Amino acid sequence: MTNEDSSIAISCRGVERTYGAGRDAFTAVRGVDLDVPAGSITALLGTNGAGKTSTVELIEGLAPAAAGEIRVLGLDPWRDREAVRRRTGVLLQASGFSGDLTVRETMRMQASLTSTARPIDAALDDLALLDKAETRVGQLSGGEQRRLDIACALLGDPAVLFLDEPSNGLDVESRRRVWDLVAALRDRGAAILLTTHYLDEAQRLADRIELMHAGRIERSGSPADIVADLPSTISFATSSLRSAPPLPDLGQLRVVEHRGTATIETHELQGSLGALLAWASSHDVHLDELRAETASLERAFLALTSKDSSSKDRGSSEHPDQTKEHAA
Amino acid sequence: MSTTAAPAPTQTRAVGRVLGLSRANATLMVRNPLTLAYGVVTPLLPLGFVALSGSEDAATGGAISTVLMVAWLLPVYYNVLSIIVTRRDELVLKRLRTGEARDHELLLSMCLPGVVISLAVAALAVVVATVMGQAPGSLATYGLAAIGGSVMCAALAVWTASWTRNAEAAQMTSLPVLTLMMLGTFARALPERAQEVVALTPGGALDALARLSWGADVDALRAAAVVVVWTGAALWVASRSMRWEPRR
Repeated sequence: MTNEDSSIAISCRGVERTYGAGRDAFTAVRGVDLDVPAGSITALLGTNGAGKTSTVELIEGLAPAAAGEIRVLGLDPWRDREAVRRRTGVLLQASGFSGDLTVRETMRMQASLTSTARPIDAALDDLALLDKAETRVGQLSGGEQRRLDIACALLGDPAVLFLDEPSNGLDVESRRRVWDLVAALRDRGAAILLTTHYLDEAQRLADRIELMHAGRIERSGSPADIVADLPSTISFATSSLRSAPPLPDLGQLRVVEHRGTATIETHELQGSLGALLAWASSHDVHLDELRAETASLERAFLALTSKDSSSKDRGSSEHPDQTKEHAA
Repeated sequence: MSTTAAPAPTQTRAVGRVLGLSRANATLMVRNPLTLAYGVVTPLLPLGFVALSGSEDAATGGAISTVLMVAWLLPVYYNVLSIIVTRRDELVLKRLRTGEARDHELLLSMCLPGVVISLAVAALAVVVATVMGQAPGSLATYGLAAIGGSVMCAALAVWTASWTRNAEAAQMTSLPVLTLMMLGTFARALPERAQEVVALTPGGALDALARLSWGADVDALRAAAVVVVWTGAALWVASRSMRWEPRR
């Protein structure tokens, strides 16, 4: 073991991945640092093309890193592939099955590649696929194939599990079933690295979030840490303000009017909301479409990804009547 | 995490992985009508040439060479090439590489069903020849030729797959090897100097080895060396250029 802290199952330091060479070279992963402790779930979030899958594939040992150091259970996943794979489960974002094999034959083949495989029926039952065991994979729906994919990843009861977009194509019931399985595996001590586009999935499952953008990890921490600096919001229809006196000081950071909705950003949600409701009551103002929301992962995500677009849009074109911003 | 029994020793696990994957590949081969036709049924048809070849050693040797050439080209070369390219297109290889199997085990498992078929056809050819009173002079030499040809064709298939873009492209990219192989069966009709050149091709060398056990006057050592060199070169190049995912 080269890790000083043996509870860290996955460790990355200064990891880079480059595609192509020479003038066509493109660096998709730029100096990523990452730790995933045993018995925890880390979610890697980012826009399309942020470098999530490129990063995960390096940690899975599917490609060598152009720079930096990766350790999975203390081993190099590229050089010590066979030893690492014995203790890892991998769900790729996109991978295929041979459609002419049955579900059971597919699992049997997977079991032959897994030295610590659980009984096939138990693994299929976990994903509600036991009644499809004799069905050819080509006849399964997309969601059933995704569940089979997950059953294969979980067949070895892994110590480290990689899940790249696990909920793609799953219905609500299947998503919850997968979440329960993943949470149970974490509770048994596995380290799980998850990428997802479903922010509610990350918020519900992850102990730690890594927000990735343009090949770098821009923010890290627990879901609560990630949103801690972000303001809560109160919004209502601007039509409510017709013939109403000006808003009082609500302790807000700013008020944004956009497409008929006024949004108040504040770090004191309860106080600001109380002041707003008192003001509305005293002036007999009815606040249509009133909503109050604490800061969410989605807003953190949008704040991160809008950095680029706002710098691109600066000086261009939104009509002043469409968006008005009033600093506090 | 797991509470299952301690894993088997490394070599046992490797054999188990190859056999497990080979069984799945053989099942897929049998379930696909096209593969079944060219990989299993067609190689059996030329056995009739052996039965009809009469009592001359040279004729029997020629017929055996034709049987083996078909058995090497269809169940081994073209079948293995097709399996690798198709599985890569379907992202099956990418999935399999996330498991414990090493790359050469994956390749071996895709080659094994075709190699077994070609060896079975080779064995049947000897049985037919023996029944017709034309048993091979040296069964060991014949066996080595059959194995050497199968291994070389599998290696050439892996090499071709390494630079073949997709299943459609395989119909074109297989032509150079098919041509080099087929040259062997035509070699005896060519001028002597041309025969010298053809003897250095995969088909020429295999034709010589196939006919060796029926009294053909060939340079066995040179033929064996040619097979070894082509096999080694194909594997060396493939190991450096093999792609496991479709080109983007």
